[in-house]
Amino acid sequence: MPPPTASVPGALSENATFSDAAENIHIRLTYDSLSLSTTADLVRSPSAGVIVLFLGTTRDTFSDLPVMTLSYGCYVPLCLRMLAMIAREIKKKHNLYGIALTHRLGEVGVGEESVHIAVSSKHRKEAWLAGEEALEEVKKRAEIWKREVFQDGSAWRSNRDGERGVRV
Amino acid sequence: MAGNFKILYFAATTIYTGKDSESLSAPMKLGEMYELLEQKYPGIKGVIQGSMCTVNLDYVEDHELVIEAGDEVAIIPPVSAG
Repeated sequence: MPPPTASVPGALSENATFSDAAENIHIRLTYDSLSLSTTADLVRSPSAGVIVLFLGTTRDTFSDLPVMTLSYGCYVPLCLRMLAMIAREIKKKHNLYGIALTHRLGEVGVGEESVHIAVSSKHRKEAWLAGEEALEEVKKRAEIWKREVFQDGSAWRSNRDGERGVRV
Repeated sequence: MAGNFKILYFAATTIYTGKDSESLSAPMKLGEMYELLEQKYPGIKGVIQGSMCTVNLDYVEDHELVIEAGDEVAIIPPVSAG
């Protein structure tokens, strides 16, 4: 069995990945545009009857205020570890074949994808449930921070409070 | 062992610090570090109180915990992935 591989960048703007091929768990933190087929292919399996793919796209408003641009910061080594933990939990709980969690970092254009989640399983029900639960856990626990730039300034958002967050 | 540890700042904490990281003197208790940060960056306490803290990628809470030279500490404000 090959050991899990991880590449943790030294520079702040490098992409980082963690893959456990034996477990079929795939984590990606990337400054590049997300590719639908790349995420789906990570969990593709001849044993699976289903792949559920979730795409989170960035909205142009927050509480009716226009968002000009937004960007994501991340504590990369800790976040890789957290996402791998979430992936393992969800995979075990829902008896999945594979799971991929991908989050984009840096500046993301409005309407572009910031998060991809792909899960594969034998049947559709556990895949739907697993996909939804994976997203909720990522939003609650992954060490990633969104900064929204409004016409009158910018703010760091907090998912926990659901508020506009701390003004810069 | 005397020396320095590295502290990382993310999201709302950088509004106060104006930087992403710096070196602080070790050894230092976690509680002492919080006091030092409020002295250096008045008001940061408000953000820290709603945040968590990691030492070498493990979440910690004990204010008596001693940070050693070479450790990597991070203040983790409420997250907002997605």
